[in-house]
Order: sequence, then C-alpha cells, then structure tokens
Amino acid sequence: MAPPPEPAIEVVGLTKDFGAGVRAVDDLSFVVGHGQVCGLLGPNGAGKTTTLRMLVGLLTPTNGAARLLGVTMTPSNPVLARAGTMIEHADFVPFLSGMRNLEVYWEAAGGDFADANVEEALAVADLGDAVHRKVKTYSQGMRQRLGVARALLGRPEILVLDEPTNGLDPGEMREIRELLIRLAGRGATVLLSSHLLSEVEQVCSHVVVMDKGKLVAAGTIDELTAASGSVYFGVDDPTRAREILTALPGVRTVTPEGAGLIVELDSGRRSDLVATLVHANVAVDTVESRHRLEDAFLGLLAHEER
Amino acid sequence: MFSLFRTEMVKQWHRPRTFVALGITILIPVITAIAIKANPPSLTSETRDEFTFVATHTGLFLPVASLQFMSRFLLVILVALFAGDAVSSEANWGNLRAMLVRPIGRGRLLAAKLTSATLLGFIATVLVVLTALIAGVIFFGWHGVNLPFPGAAFHQSAWHIIGNLGISTLYVFWGLGSVAAVSFMVSTMTDSPVGAVSAGFGLYVVSQILDGITSLGSIRYGLPTHYFGSWTELFRGSGPTADMARGALLQIPYIVVALSIAWWHFRRKDVLS
Repeated sequence: MAPPPEPAIEVVGLTKDFGAGVRAVDDLSFVVGHGQVCGLLGPNGAGKTTTLRMLVGLLTPTNGAARLLGVTMTPSNPVLARAGTMIEHADFVPFLSGMRNLEVYWEAAGGDFADANVEEALAVADLGDAVHRKVKTYSQGMRQRLGVARALLGRPEILVLDEPTNGLDPGEMREIRELLIRLAGRGATVLLSSHLLSEVEQVCSHVVVMDKGKLVAAGTIDELTAASGSVYFGVDDPTRAREILTALPGVRTVTPEGAGLIVELDSGRRSDLVATLVHANVAVDTVESRHRLEDAFLGLLAHEER
Repeated sequence: MFSLFRTEMVKQWHRPRTFVALGITILIPVITAIAIKANPPSLTSETRDEFTFVATHTGLFLPVASLQFMSRFLLVILVALFAGDAVSSEANWGNLRAMLVRPIGRGRLLAAKLTSATLLGFIATVLVVLTALIAGVIFFGWHGVNLPFPGAAFHQSAWHIIGNLGISTLYVFWGLGSVAAVSFMVSTMTDSPVGAVSAGFGLYVVSQILDGITSLGSIRYGLPTHYFGSWTELFRGSGPTADMARGALLQIPYIVVALSIAWWHFRRKDVLS
C-alpha cells in the first residue's frame, strides 16, 4: 500500500515566543517522512522540547504550523488518537498503580482498554508484578519505561518521544533502542529528541539539528556525517600511503590504525585520494567513513557560531 | 464524556486526601454527639450555640448544629480543596500534559474535573448532615421540637425539620459555589494546589471580614458570604426567607465569572508543566 501523500510530521515556519522577547523556536521547518526514525538534536536550550510540545498541541505556536499526518495541530486535536507521546519526564498519578495509570490514560479518551494492546506495551515496560504497585514507589527508570509503554498503547502510527532513554541503565537503553528500530520496521514514524548522539546514531535514519531555536541542518545521518570528518583507508603499504597522503592538499592529518590509515580531511574528495594512491601503485582495499555523528554535530554547531 | 468523568472519579477515589477529608466530615459530628451526650450544654444568657442546646432534646437538631459550625470553616476548606486541587494537582504531578496529548478536548476535561470536584463537595456536605442525623437519632432520639427560647421559637415536627435539613444542605452547598469557582479558576492557572485552595478560602475570609465592617453599607450585600448564614432562620420558625433567595442568586455572578475565566484561560493555556 502506498504511503499517504502528506508527510507523517511536518513543521513549517514554526516560531514560539515566550514574552519578554524570548524566542524559543525561530522559523523552524522540517519534514519527517512515513516510517522514518528521526532524531531531533541540539544543545540544551535549543528549543527541542518546545518544538515537540507544539507538535502535540501543548503549546500554541506564535507563528507557523506543526502538522501530524497532514493535520495542523491544535490543542487536543483528534489526530492525537494516532500518535503516542512522551514529553519530558514520564509522570503519572502517583497513588495509582502503573496498570491503573495506563487504564485511566487510555479510557479518558473514550477508548476500551481491551483494545489498547496493553500486553504488547507492558512487554516493553517489563515491570512484572510491579505494574500493580503504586507509581510513587517506582524508580526513575521504571517510570520512564512505563512512560514509553503508555506512548505505545494502541499501536500509534507516530511516536513523539522526548529523551526516551533518560534515567535508564545501559541495558534498558538498549531495549528501548531495539524497540524503536522494531517499530520503524513495522512502519511507525518516530521523532525523538535526545542529547545522546551515539543513541541517535544507532537508532535514527534521519536527524534534525537545532540551535537557539533555529534549524541548523536536516537530512540522513550519512548526509550529515559525510559533510565533514575522517576516512579510513585500508591499504597494502601503509607507510608509503602515509607519505603520499600527507603531502596532498586538503589533508589535515594521517594516523596509522591497524593495517590502514585514518585520514582527517579539511577539504577534497575521497575519490581523489583513492586515485592518487592507486596511481602510486598503492592498493586500496577499503574506504570507510569514520565520521561520527558527534563530530558532525559539533562541527555544525561550531559553524553556526561563526 | 462519561468515560472522562469516570476516570476523574477513579483518580479522586484513590487519593488518600479524599478519604481523610470525607472521614473528617463523618468523625466530627460523631465526636460532637458523644461530647454533647457526655456533657450537655446549659441554656444561659451567654449561650450562643442554641442549636446544640436544642439537639439535646431532639437528635434531628444535631445535623443543624453540625452544619452550622462545619460550614463556618471546615466545609469551606474542603470545598476549596476539591475544586482547587482539580487541575493544579494534575499539573503538579506532571500528568496534565499526558492527559492533554490525548484527543479529549480541554473543555471536556475541564467539565469532567469540575463535575467530580462538585460531586465531592456535595458528598462532603451531605455526609456532615447524614452522619450527624444518624448519630443524633441514636443519642437523642427522633422527635419534633417544642421549645420556648429567648428570641426564637422552636416548634417544628420531625418531618418538618427533615425537610428543612434538606433545603439547608442544598443552600450551604450552593452558598459555597463562589469559593469553589474561584478555587477552580485559580487551579487552571497554577501548578500549586495550595495556592488554588488558598484563593477560594481567601475569598471566603476576606468576604467575612469585609462583611463585618458596617461602614461599607450596601456594598456588603454584594459580598459572596453576606447571606451565607441565612439558612438557620429555617429552624427558628420561618420558612425560606428573602435573604436565602438573595444569597442563592448572589452566587451566580461569582460562579459564572470565575468559571468563564477558567474556561477561557485553560483552552488557550500553554502547558509547560
């Protein structure tokens, strides 16, 4: 079945002012296609949470629009029935059990709890019998997992998650990452904010980078990381290759690593470097991007500062 | 709408504060009955609490006495608590944003919360009267009253007293409408339940203080608590008075204005908590 023509998530010229000249989000535009897992990145105060809040109708934009499945978001818009969200901390009614919290959350909108796919959601939370305990006895990690489970109730088409692995231990973080990948595999669209770049790199197909409320970059992970960074060359003669590459313009550093070299580029194309090595009778077995999202992210922010 | 109201009531019924609050409305009339039985008040020129004295002659007057002293302070606090807590506590827990990302409709959520707070306030008022009635009948019996009393006559049949109790309960409950409405309004504007409860209770206290300043003249007639105690005349021999009608009508503008502001504000509110 062909995906619908409108994007799953669309942000157009989104702006939010908080009085006294504080502009939290400034003319932000980006699109998240169906089935994408998109990471929303930015330093603290970049406007990520404000953007997500506008996307789910908690905040009213000063200008522009946020759209889910083609519907311009307004407070408590019916399209929210097709979205699962977790904004900031996972908070609950403290004196109700985890299960009762899920039930109240679901049935408040008139839904039948039997139709909420609660077993599937609880499998993610992995709370065992603790799901019947009062939430006020939960640890931060347990609340966070219950929050993700709440967002998954009813198998939403879109997930909007704000720092979903906040407060989780490494094992729990991995489970959430795997879950997000599985969800994307079955066609769900995920927009998640995170300050853990390695997490985004492992989970997301696309990223949107924000700083000071503005869009810095948007695209696939590969597009962003290919813009700058380092390259690994697997060669048969590392010593000779190092001499050749060091002399080339646009090459900042050349560092041996195993049977190859890590080359930091200021400018120039990888294909030119490969051609030069081959021309000098150095066999090139492997060429791999060694850029990390972290490098690309910091580079983009530094570029913005300039 | 009913499912939303039901989920609100589930939250309220599981709150320890609900049990404590309603428990107090049961406990105090019972303690009062025991105390009066053990140490009956005497009728002296200093006796101001005439209903307590009459209650020793018929248990049907114990709810009258209980309603009188409970409505001066405790019921005001409880009604302000239920209304002031309604939205602000949910915001305080951080759960309000989880509710507002459901396709519920802010107006509907507000209506459900107002209905549940109103119901709890009504239950608290009724519990005071009902508990006192049961305790009064057990300790002092079910009788009409025929007592000469300085400045007032107490001549009412048992069923007449019961009828007046019903009217009084509704009047006291309605008379606290302005307190509830102001607490509820502030509840939509703050994450602090204490602040919202204080707003309603503060209105009551300020109104009572201003009402005591006779120099304010006719301004006092517009204060929300000016006619609040007029229901007691029902038990002194007169039927529903013009003051009761004025008192009931006076609540309407306070309720309408406060709830309209709450509605207007909440539907446009940026939810940051």
